[in-house]
Amino acid sequence: MKARILVVDDDEALAEMIGIVLRNDGFDPVFCADGGQALDIFRSSKPDLVLLDLMLPGVDGIEVCRQIRAESDVPIVMLTAKSDTSDVVRGLESGADDYVPKPFKPAELVARVRARLRPGDQKAPETLRIADITIDVAGHTVKRSDERISLTPLEFDLLVALARKPWQVFTRELLLEQVWGYRHAADTRLVNVHVQRLRSKIERDPEAPEVVLTVRGVGYKAGS
Amino acid sequence: MVSATKQVPEPSGPEDAREPGVPAAKAPEHTDALAAELARLPFRARIWRRRGIIVGLRVARLVTIGLRRLLPALRYLGKSLQRRWRRSLQFRTVLTTLMLAVTSFGAVGAYLSNQIANNLFQERLTQAESETRYNVKQVQDTFDGAQVTDQSSVITLVYDTLNAVEGRGSVIQRRYVFEAMPEQTKPRNRWVESRASDQLTVSVIPPELRKAVQESGKDQYWASTVIPVGTEDRPGIAVGNKVTFNGTVYELYLIYDLNTAQQTLDEIQGVLLAGGAVLVLMIGAIAWYVTRNVVSPVSHAALVSEKLAAGQLQERMVVKGEDEVARLGASFNHMAASLQEQITQLATLSQMQQRFVSDVSHELRTPLTTVRMAAEVLYDARHDFDPINKRSAELLYNQVERFQSLLADLLEISRFDAGVAMLDAEPEDILQVIAHVIEGAAPVAAEYGSEIILRAPAEGIVAEMDARRIDRILRNLILNAVEHGEGKPVIVTVAANQSAVGIAVRDQGIGMTPAEAARVFDRFWRADPARARTTGGSGLGLSIAMEDTKLHNGWLQAWGKKGSGANFRLTIPLRQGEEIERSPVQLEPEEIILPGVPQENRMVVVAPGPAVPVSASAASVGQSGAAATPKESS
Repeated sequence: MKARILVVDDDEALAEMIGIVLRNDGFDPVFCADGGQALDIFRSSKPDLVLLDLMLPGVDGIEVCRQIRAESDVPIVMLTAKSDTSDVVRGLESGADDYVPKPFKPAELVARVRARLRPGDQKAPETLRIADITIDVAGHTVKRSDERISLTPLEFDLLVALARKPWQVFTRELLLEQVWGYRHAADTRLVNVHVQRLRSKIERDPEAPEVVLTVRGVGYKAGS
Repeated sequence: MVSATKQVPEPSGPEDAREPGVPAAKAPEHTDALAAELARLPFRARIWRRRGIIVGLRVARLVTIGLRRLLPALRYLGKSLQRRWRRSLQFRTVLTTLMLAVTSFGAVGAYLSNQIANNLFQERLTQAESETRYNVKQVQDTFDGAQVTDQSSVITLVYDTLNAVEGRGSVIQRRYVFEAMPEQTKPRNRWVESRASDQLTVSVIPPELRKAVQESGKDQYWASTVIPVGTEDRPGIAVGNKVTFNGTVYELYLIYDLNTAQQTLDEIQGVLLAGGAVLVLMIGAIAWYVTRNVVSPVSHAALVSEKLAAGQLQERMVVKGEDEVARLGASFNHMAASLQEQITQLATLSQMQQRFVSDVSHELRTPLTTVRMAAEVLYDARHDFDPINKRSAELLYNQVERFQSLLADLLEISRFDAGVAMLDAEPEDILQVIAHVIEGAAPVAAEYGSEIILRAPAEGIVAEMDARRIDRILRNLILNAVEHGEGKPVIVTVAANQSAVGIAVRDQGIGMTPAEAARVFDRFWRADPARARTTGGSGLGLSIAMEDTKLHNGWLQAWGKKGSGANFRLTIPLRQGEEIERSPVQLEPEEIILPGVPQENRMVVVAPGPAVPVSASAASVGQSGAAATPKESS
């Protein structure tokens, strides 16, 4: 079955071009040119992934991202003409899993899409612990004592990657490769932002993290 | 008056001028210092001196103890005074004025009090002389007309006469000393003994005076002396002459108290001193006020211009009145206003321009993305085209790529210009970043047939940096070096000191002149306009590298020499916010290191072939900490 991809972009030419490239690579694109209708189309089309332009007429991309994220864990990849740190960070913080800066190559876009669509490995029943957090890998759930913590698939993958090797310090590049699936170094800000988001959900005090620790000058590791 | 009263001459001394002495022809040559001194400030001087010594000793002790404790504070005070003297015109002027005023008042006061003392003394002396002359004559007349009958009447007569002399003075309380002259040839009148007023003895008469009186005929002499009155000693004048009674010669000295004169003098001196002090203070205050009026606008102007220079363009001087200072203020304000206007205009212009560039770049990106994707689709399908269309697709694809990189650089620069570039600094190992860049540059180096040699310490160097930007700077420097290195090795040297880490990228290509090296960071600048385009690049790479370096508060410098290559050095502080003292690596290389020559330091060679770092010299891994300025490695 073809993966359905919702392309939210007001630039018709670009949307059409993206459609050509996606179709060419065996995806099933659905289009939306208006931020106001994005949520409706998202609900009706039930896509496997959303490509979202940050600058949209009506409701802007960040708001759309927030709306979608409020009701679904579906991967969201942002398309952005701005590569200012603040814009990227704002987009990622609103719930996007990844971003592709314009202008991008078709292959790059497709690679990012595929990386996000990677079918979750058939996970063996496995229970991991970091600090006072319990992770049920197969059940895709995270708990502190009996309280369930809701994470996006990406955040879940990030936490699992750290928890599987608590002895290892992960550089940002290594995390990009293991969690995002990029073989070539991309922007390590992705890691920073997602670690922040993850911390805000699982740490008791995100200012003094106990679950995901920063190793100065190197990267991150799981707390003990 | 035939016989003038003669003064017993004073000992010659510095204060001779005070003595209104008319030197007597018959004055004795022998003099006495003590008597002379007592004549002037007689007696108080002695007491005061004694008191002075005691008080002085105590004060000295206190001062020594105090000094020992207060020395640091005093030193500080002295330093701050010195500093104020140097830095404050007002302070200097007021202090100078005060010192000059004190000096001149001191001189004038000393002169005045000296004159007054002289006049007072002279007045009393004249009075004393005339009174003495009169009284001596009276006494002599009484003695001459006396009937020498029996002892008691004689004694009564003499004593009554002498008592009449005592206390008859109008202003001066007058006393006497009546002494038979020794060594008389005639037999003495045994009935009349030497005699003196209360408390007085002949010892209060200075011996010189006695001698002068004894040796003279009928002349009158005077000398200053000290007389006991009640419990205190007082300054006085003794005037002496001879009287004869019944054939016996007596010395008769009349002694006049100078106390009232001394008191008057003290009062006058007190008034002079107080008046002088008040005047000095007033002059000081006036000097302070006047200089403040002159200096404060100047220091105000200095303050305002400093603020202006610091960028507070709205600062203005306060203008009051129409004097020179007001004119200065007005023209200063005028200058500031036109400066502000021009700067604001420039700022607005440059902001508009930056905004425009930024907007254009953003607007261009979306269509460019479409074009790029389309070009790539065509490019991927080029094998199905006929040769013309195929070549067109290739050209389209390549030029879109170039256009895109140019746009990216332009946007990056516009972000710096707009001041929105932010440093996202975190402590990271710079060696990892360098290794990563070298790994990425290896394929290009292979293309040019050159190798990249890394000389670095074995341990990591952790610096607070924005790894994305440092990566971009180094990639730019290394790719530049490879492109201009003409196939010769590119040497990357890394070293750190306490405050900074330095990275030098050295190529041995055609090099550049120092003038070119100075311009190499200019936008769109190319050493050789004819050559450049083939190597691609936007011409903004080094400008962006420079901006990235500035964000890190670092240094980016270039050195070049025609024919012996170029050296680019990046220095960034280990901790953001700290100053770089000096770069740990040298900008000007001292020798050229050829490949194959064994190096003492640990090297990681990225050969053109495999992109895996290889440790080349295992022999000296241990001493790698002493890494690697070109100088040390020779």
